[in-house]
Amino acid sequence: MPNITISVNNQNYELNLNGEETLLEVLREHLHLTGTKSACHEAECGACTVLLNGKSVLACITLACDVAGQDITTIEGLAKGEDLHPIQDAFLEKGAVQCGFCMPGMILASKSLLDRNPEPSREEIKTALNGNICRCAGYTKIFEAVEHAAKKIKNQPPQQ
Amino acid sequence: MDQNKKENINLNPVGKSVPRIDGKGLVTGQTKFTYDMQLPNMLVGKMLRSPHPHARILNIDTSKAQKLPGVKAVITAKDTHMIKFGSNEYFFPHTVDQLALEDVKVRYIGDELGAVAAVDEETALKALELIDVEYEVLPPVFDPLEAMKPGAPSIHDHCRNNIGVILPVNMGNPDRALKEADYVREDVFYSQSAAHACMETHVCIGQWESFSNKITLWISHQAPFKVREALAKCLKMDLNDIRVIKMASGGGFGGKLEMLPMDFSSCLLSKKAGGFPVKMCYNREEEFCFSRRKHNMIYKLKSGVKKDGTIVAITGEVIADGGAYCSYGPTVLAAATMRIFIVYKIQHIRISGYRVYTNNPISGAIRGFGGVQSGFSIESHMDLLAEGIGMDPKDFRLKNITEPNMITANKMIISSNGLKECIVKAAEASDWDKKRGQCRHLARGIGMAIAADVMGSKMYKAHESAGSIIKMEEDGSVYLFTGAADTGQGSNTVLSQIAAHELGISFQRIRCKAADTEITPFDTGSFASRVTFISGNATLLAAKDAKEQILKVVSQEFKLDHDDLDIKAEKVINKKNQSIILSFDKALDLCYSFNYGRQIIGRGSYNPTTTPIDFRTGEGNVSGSYSFEAQIAEVEVNTDTGAIKLLNLWDAHDVGKAINPSSVESQIEGSLAMGIGYTFFEDLDMKNGRVVNPNFAKYKIPRSVHMPPLHTILIETNDPHGPFGAKGMGEAALLPTAAAIANAIDDAAGIRLKELPFTPEKVLKALKEKNENK
Repeated sequence: MPNITISVNNQNYELNLNGEETLLEVLREHLHLTGTKSACHEAECGACTVLLNGKSVLACITLACDVAGQDITTIEGLAKGEDLHPIQDAFLEKGAVQCGFCMPGMILASKSLLDRNPEPSREEIKTALNGNICRCAGYTKIFEAVEHAAKKIKNQPPQQ
Repeated sequence: MDQNKKENINLNPVGKSVPRIDGKGLVTGQTKFTYDMQLPNMLVGKMLRSPHPHARILNIDTSKAQKLPGVKAVITAKDTHMIKFGSNEYFFPHTVDQLALEDVKVRYIGDELGAVAAVDEETALKALELIDVEYEVLPPVFDPLEAMKPGAPSIHDHCRNNIGVILPVNMGNPDRALKEADYVREDVFYSQSAAHACMETHVCIGQWESFSNKITLWISHQAPFKVREALAKCLKMDLNDIRVIKMASGGGFGGKLEMLPMDFSSCLLSKKAGGFPVKMCYNREEEFCFSRRKHNMIYKLKSGVKKDGTIVAITGEVIADGGAYCSYGPTVLAAATMRIFIVYKIQHIRISGYRVYTNNPISGAIRGFGGVQSGFSIESHMDLLAEGIGMDPKDFRLKNITEPNMITANKMIISSNGLKECIVKAAEASDWDKKRGQCRHLARGIGMAIAADVMGSKMYKAHESAGSIIKMEEDGSVYLFTGAADTGQGSNTVLSQIAAHELGISFQRIRCKAADTEITPFDTGSFASRVTFISGNATLLAAKDAKEQILKVVSQEFKLDHDDLDIKAEKVINKKNQSIILSFDKALDLCYSFNYGRQIIGRGSYNPTTTPIDFRTGEGNVSGSYSFEAQIAEVEVNTDTGAIKLLNLWDAHDVGKAINPSSVESQIEGSLAMGIGYTFFEDLDMKNGRVVNPNFAKYKIPRSVHMPPLHTILIETNDPHGPFGAKGMGEAALLPTAAAIANAIDDAAGIRLKELPFTPEKVLKALKEKNENK
């Protein structure tokens, strides 16, 4: 019998959990939403960053049953059909992606930043992304992508 | 085909920063990595590892583990053919020294001697605990200098004093030349071990198919064809019995360039379990402890110069801690000793390299091979030589560097060479002449280091060829099949750009299928900065071949000389008068028409022109061409805390031609980040053979706050051998970083750091010694 409802990307999932499962485990293994990655399982790499009520949290140290009924957004929930979110577009346009393994976490951490601070300085971007390791690309193009995304979002026509 | 794909310009994509061909999948989380894969009835595999750094295996009893419910297979050496694997088997067969599962001895903490597959991880781990292994513990040795002494514990029977590889570089008469020098000095430099720390750990899924006796292995890897070769050899199967599929891979950096015992074990376990797929996935701790690591090195140098700055001779000795097995040891050592020939015009050199077995974890390939350690040592030494004769280090380098179109003392053939321009441009951009030696009162300084790199190197085979196939469908959509393994660097994009540009069609028409040993042509792998150069040339040849096939049909139909025809901007044109004959689509319609029915399948195979290396002297031309760079670091030293603030980093890089400038910059920036990490804090700390910092909390990786402003300057020298003039450049920017920073620290504070990493403690100690010697 399902004993918990988890809301991911505006969709409710009824699950039967024993209470020990992390959000990371539930997303990847129960819901097969493998866009969320993990490179350490101990809150050091940021690859498992998801949004909880719009704020970034680490899924590897979040218990799934603690977030029952709250709004969870994963990387799968960011694009609208074929239309990428402006942050995703910006990361591609600025060449900020190499292997891409850190990207889901990096992009969601960037979204969390831009939602609370639409025009961050370079230093504010560095601080906000300091929990997300990228081993390939040297970060500089990621900073440029976040700045570019901020401009794109600002220039977006208001949504109906 | 889709009208959008044709209309979207992206014509002539070479030289443009087109977005990654696989980018949308990566930013939406839809791309599947091996780590993400789940197959029906998939089992979890785990390795049985030695808790001892050095021991004889007396007995292994797996009976209790086999009886545990949920356990589907247990294997030991008895389930293998006991055939050894290695990485430099062609040139150095004696370095093939590791078994898929060891049977007689274990040589480091974590050495593999068995494996289990079970329905879940918990059961697999429980089963490992139920395996009884009887060991006779042997004395270990961890320090390479101790291991070289007579009477030290012998780790492998086949070599004396634990010296697994000796590589001398010997040209001219350095002893006589040194006597003619005006200034001679000796230095010793120490470089630490480090980890690749790829975001995706080592992971594979092996599946044996009973009805066809075939194995499929999905893997995160840089060299899937090497994996296939090793599996075929050690499992006694044919190459076409094995399908290795490289999935999207979360980084490699040299760490995913060879076999690990888990790769063999997942296949063997699947067979023993009756064909259920077996997934083996390292956690972060296993990744730090049981994959491969950078060789820690001691680099001794003694060199002499004339008053005018001419280097007359260099001598030296390199001692590298190899750990338990040889891995890519010979190549690492060669890179540490031979690269100097590409950088400096020197006639008299003798550098002796020794790679020593110890009971530490296994050292292997890592971005730059041994060039990072040697780059730090040689480029620090060069500044000290310049200082000794009172010469500006920039002018000192300009006096001694190699030139275009020359043959070096060891017979390396240099064609294009932008090193001089790199130095001049980096100096201009950084305001070198105004800053050097001028800012010590502010505890600020600026330092330079230079480097050169290969693009390809024969490592495990007699050849290092790459193959490409271009297949054109009837609707004008195009497949590019390449054996090259994109582990994140973007080679699928760059190769597609090369293909589209040569074919004269839109980049959007191309889909790239790469690195599946059953479908794509052979390619030795992603290493030695070879893919753009070698696989790029193969792709260029395939595109030329496909184009030729189309033009032959058009020339036949229109009764024109096919040498007069070309395809530009999606149109077949007559080169003589630039007239348009027909569109690319119409031309393909013609090829696939009632009258012709010609399938367009272009093929390309490329193997660079090199000469064999004499490993007794270092003579030979290892690469088809060479890349060059100059790096300048600007630092500020906090003399109270010992903290170094990196203010700026400039990298002027001869890339031949930037096929995708954004991608080239990203490679350089990523290399610089790794260089910064290695210079200041990355340090794989081993105590009695055990890695004591196997996590991201203790092993520090550069993060966003560590990044200074990076300034990349791309210099294009249009290499005569590169595709559209391009060179490889995936590693070179990492080579000089530590020395550029060391030289800048010296300029800032008058202290010379000779031991990496540059922690605040070492800086303070050096400052204290300097003040005491005043």
